[in-house]
Amino acid sequence: MSEPAVAVTGVTKTFPVPFKRQSVIAVRDLNLQVEAGQVYGLLGPNGSGKSTTLKIILGLVSPTRGTAEIFGRESKEVASREAVGFLPESPYFYKYLTGAETLRFYGKLCGLRGPKLVTRVDELLELVGLTNARDRRLGGYSKGMLQRIGLAQALVHEPRLVVLDEPTAGVDPVGSREIRDLILDLKRRGITVLLSSHLLDQVQEVCDRVGILADGILVRDGPVDELLAVENRTEVVFENGSDELGQQLETLIRAAGGQLIERRKSRKTLERLFLDATRK
Amino acid sequence: MAAITANTLTELTRLKVFYVLLLFALVLIGSSIFMARLTFQQEFQVLKDISLGAMSIFTSLLAIVATARMLPQDIEDRTVYTILAKPVPRFEYLVGKLGGVLLLLTITTLIMTALFLAVLSFREQAALAETTRQMAGLPQEQLTEALRAVRAATFNADLIPGISVLFLKACLLASLTLFISTFATTNIFTVVVTVFIYFIGHLQGTAREFWLQEHGGSWISRTFLAVVALLFPDLQLFNLADEVVTGAAIPLEIFLKTAALGCFYTLIYLLLATAVFNAREL
Amino acid sequence: MRLVIVLLGVLLLGGVKLPLEHHLFITRAAHRLQSTPLDLNLREQIGQLSFVAALSGFRAVIADFLFIQAHVAWERTEWSRVLLLFRQVTMLQPRGILFWDMAAWHMAWNASVAAFNNPAQPRLALRLKAQREYFDLGRDFLERGLQNNPDSPQLCEALGRLYRDKYKDHARASAYFEMMAAKPGAPNYAKRFAVYELSFCEGREREAYERLMALYATGEKERLPTMISRLKYLEEKLDIPLDQRISDAVRR
Ligand SMILES: Nc1ncnc2c1ncn2[C@@H]1O[C@H](COP(=O)(O)OP(=O)(O)OP(=O)(O)O)[C@@H](O)[C@H]1O
Ligand SMILES: [Mg+2]
Repeated sequence: MSEPAVAVTGVTKTFPVPFKRQSVIAVRDLNLQVEAGQVYGLLGPNGSGKSTTLKIILGLVSPTRGTAEIFGRESKEVASREAVGFLPESPYFYKYLTGAETLRFYGKLCGLRGPKLVTRVDELLELVGLTNARDRRLGGYSKGMLQRIGLAQALVHEPRLVVLDEPTAGVDPVGSREIRDLILDLKRRGITVLLSSHLLDQVQEVCDRVGILADGILVRDGPVDELLAVENRTEVVFENGSDELGQQLETLIRAAGGQLIERRKSRKTLERLFLDATRK
Repeated sequence: MAAITANTLTELTRLKVFYVLLLFALVLIGSSIFMARLTFQQEFQVLKDISLGAMSIFTSLLAIVATARMLPQDIEDRTVYTILAKPVPRFEYLVGKLGGVLLLLTITTLIMTALFLAVLSFREQAALAETTRQMAGLPQEQLTEALRAVRAATFNADLIPGISVLFLKACLLASLTLFISTFATTNIFTVVVTVFIYFIGHLQGTAREFWLQEHGGSWISRTFLAVVALLFPDLQLFNLADEVVTGAAIPLEIFLKTAALGCFYTLIYLLLATAVFNAREL
Repeated sequence: MRLVIVLLGVLLLGGVKLPLEHHLFITRAAHRLQSTPLDLNLREQIGQLSFVAALSGFRAVIADFLFIQAHVAWERTEWSRVLLLFRQVTMLQPRGILFWDMAAWHMAWNASVAAFNNPAQPRLALRLKAQREYFDLGRDFLERGLQNNPDSPQLCEALGRLYRDKYKDHARASAYFEMMAAKPGAPNYAKRFAVYELSFCEGREREAYERLMALYATGEKERLPTMISRLKYLEEKLDIPLDQRISDAVRR
């Protein structure tokens, strides 16, 4: 078996509360593994410790107890960050830089130089759809554009693991769709993705595996299909059938000893409606 | 690291810090209003004092103000996460930031020096022309002597070490400010503490020598002096400009030792900043 | 807690830097490059703000500022104010030769004349006394200036001139010009001035004559009109044999 992309073992993180004796426990005895090539979703209500966990994995916050590893290297080591790209929650970048300059800056931080850097920057701008805005200052970018430049920045050194903290927060449905497509694209290319969110539908759509945090404790962890499957139920959707056909089905189910729980007209999702309505 | 330095410099230049230079030019021009009534020797002394004083205060202020907001800003905007999530050691991040400020200080010092020397040589030409006119008809020997006096009153080579030491003082202050900003909670706190250290730093020498020499006094006052002497840098040592202007020669030994001390301090504060920053939660 | 560790670290490093600073301080003091601590009385005189500025590395600027004020006071002939301001200026910037020189000049040359011509004082004796007091003030400035700047030919010259022109004390004047000649960077008229003054001293004519002749012998450049006339005066006074006297044709 190959090495896990992320391995968190026995991590507890407490933050002291200034001028008080007590402290906040943000993460409690957390064990978490993300296998290489997976898309892992970390869910949880506000303040449940999602961002803290991600920061611990990136070595931005040091755990009070326990260890975190990326591809077998401890997060404390600077070198562990060579394999990972990170998009923090609602990121800000240097307002006075243009999109292209921003990417060039982060590329240089990762040791990219010369023509290789130039082509990489162009590629990324293309990838996140900001080619038109490349020479505009970030000060004038919208929230969704910032999120996308943040994503591009996380990918600049072609990392094997990408960590995204609420990648679709504040982005309109079109943008959010694009970001989700991008994540699926990354997955196709074999890149491991670890993301946090509280938008459940979206997580359900892209993730192979999810973990649910509540008050710093990982209360659920498993493949999406398994976690959501209701063992004794099956859904059937058909098109162009008459009411009669429905009646017949119901009788069949009864006869077999089953029970029809719900019968309704299929609806398209609000997202589908929005995407259709705003498509140019 | 070079990328962070370059980026910090861009950040600072786009903050329009170069207005300070404009202010400096105004001081240079403004100060000459005083001088209409003075003799050229007095004029040059005043011009040099005011220029070097302005240079000192501007570089020091620039160092403090530019550095104080740097780190808190990055942390508040969370840009620090994106940078440190790259394979960038925290030490390099700080060095890069400080490097940007030092580069800015170098550029401003060079420009100010150039402006200052330009004004000085302009005034020198005027004084030379005037002297030649006044002394027309007197023997050549006396004229040469007089012109030599004018030249001696304007330029002396020791101005350069004097300015270099001012620059080093600004570097020290930048590094100190960075150090304080690693544990400060607000920008105001950083600036206030640094300015406080700036003032105490000029008195530290007196306190230190007193502590080292006198052995009387209550233990309270002795402890107080010891704390001042140990805790604060001696900034008065970086003040060669006053002596330079009066024409005193600066021995190479003293200049080199002062420069070494300045670099030592800058380095020490940088290391302290790293120590605190490494342990800091972001 | 962390703050305490940081503080301890700084204190520890303080122990390292302390000897370095002290060493540099001593070296500077040896070269007279260490400014003296300020007198607290000065604070009341120049005001809190200026005092703080002076304490924090802007002594020179404050000194200039006061100097310009002194200049204005001089134009208004407020002599006591000129004196006060110059005392402050020289306290702030004791290495400023120009300041000592100017202070003495204002006292001994300007204020003394004003005191002598004071229309409010009809009694000559008192006016002479006042004039004399200003000479002394000028001399005090120069002497203290010389203590602070022992290498300055300029201050020696000023003292020489003061004794020559104001006190009419040729022996002292000569001694100061002599001292001036020995300083580094002294102009070459220093030696001549010293001997000229010597030639006025009763009983030292022989010495003056010999030294003047030595200067005369160094070449054409030294043979200035004043020198010729002093030599002729001494030749007369010492009854030098005619064939040893200098020729009239040397200089027109
Ligand atoms: N630097 C810090 N200092 C003190 N407490 C902190 C710090 N960072 C996080 N916490 C606390 O830790 C807990 C978890 O915070 P965290 O940001 O990880 O939550 P989250 O799941 O990301 O929430 P959200 O959905 O709002 O982003 C919170 O109670 C928060 O107050
Ligand atoms: Mg969060």
